[in-house]
Amino acid sequence: MTAGTAGAAAPGASDVVRRAQQGDVQAFESLYRAHGPAVYALARRMLGDDGEARDAMQDVFVRAWERLASFRGDSALATWLHRLGVNVILERLRTAQRDDRRFTDDDADDTPAPRAVADAIDARLDLDAALARLSPGARTVFVLHDLEGYSHAEIAQMTGIAAGTARAQLWRARRHLMRHLDP
Amino acid sequence: MTTPEGIPHLTEAERQGAADGTLASARRRAVDAHLSACDACDADVARLRGVIARARASEPPPAPLDALWPDIRARIERQKVVPLVPAVTPNGVGRSRVARVVRIGAGLVAAGLVAALGMSVVARREGRVVVSPAPVAAAPGAGDARLASNPADSSRLYEQEVQTLLDELRLRRALLRPDVAARMDHDVRVIDAAIAELQDALREDPNNPALRQLLAASYRQKRDLLRRVDDAS
Repeated sequence: MTAGTAGAAAPGASDVVRRAQQGDVQAFESLYRAHGPAVYALARRMLGDDGEARDAMQDVFVRAWERLASFRGDSALATWLHRLGVNVILERLRTAQRDDRRFTDDDADDTPAPRAVADAIDARLDLDAALARLSPGARTVFVLHDLEGYSHAEIAQMTGIAAGTARAQLWRARRHLMRHLDP
Repeated sequence: MTTPEGIPHLTEAERQGAADGTLASARRRAVDAHLSACDACDADVARLRGVIARARASEPPPAPLDALWPDIRARIERQKVVPLVPAVTPNGVGRSRVARVVRIGAGLVAAGLVAALGMSVVARREGRVVVSPAPVAAAPGAGDARLASNPADSSRLYEQEVQTLLDELRLRRALLRPDVAARMDHDVRVIDAAIAELQDALREDPNNPALRQLLAASYRQKRDLLRRVDDAS
């Protein structure tokens, strides 16, 4: 995959990472400020809601703090954080939709998420507003595939849905966005 | 569905594959040939491509970094467990540096401990709560057995216990003479200042065993002080 929105490590980042791993909160804040925008953009688009994205952002960085010691530098920190962010966000989606079955139902449609329905959205929608109106499953697959560059096989592995289902969700998402962005 | 010439239109899979470029090469050639001859399919694929391109080109929403950091930091601080048991220092390695840090750390803590221990024994005499002088603690050193860390030591455990004691004392504060309560508050502040300075020093030198011992000792002194006041009250 390519961590599409994740930024490259800044010069000297390894020293900052090392200090953060040793418990330096100020160093960790530097990492947060460098990588937070990418994590927030990911969360905002996958969750389709600012409040949810803020909560997820907190969870991601608290989890990152807890697990930073396990980061060995085999990959870029941006990639590590990106993957951690995807996992945390998917956990939130699974928890919120445990009974919804949108991730496992081949016939899932693009019924708007309740929170998104409540939003008054103009006829001409920007991308984020249009994404917010997608079902969580379709939105997740669209963001991971078209914006973040994951393959259907990777998405299937991460979300637990079949690759064919992921593909169908993606096509549905594109059609939905096409209707709203290019009517 | 077919074109006016009776040729079947592309399937959804073919249109989507043409739009995102994931068709296998043999299939792609056939699809491209169809698109060059079918305006309807070509327009549909163009719209799909446009959606994908627009999504990829869109600016990400601005992140509320400043707004979120205080909560993230608070959660980190709440969960943070400072391992107070130092790692074993190999004999002879860094001994002079440890000694220097211990002197600095001892200086930081001594003021707090001395002030705290000055009122640390609280006893009931003749129905009143009074403060009696207590022995002054010697400045701790690296070899001080009193500072040997309990394997269960952690800043979080101490902080939890201290908070419990403070909560209890808050309820019993009315039983304390005002000057005793004020003295207790003062000494707790002194110890807290020493703890904060040691924590700062640890942030700069997180693996320093002497600083960890001193921090553990400071936590224990604060806990013990509050215990004595709590017992006496």
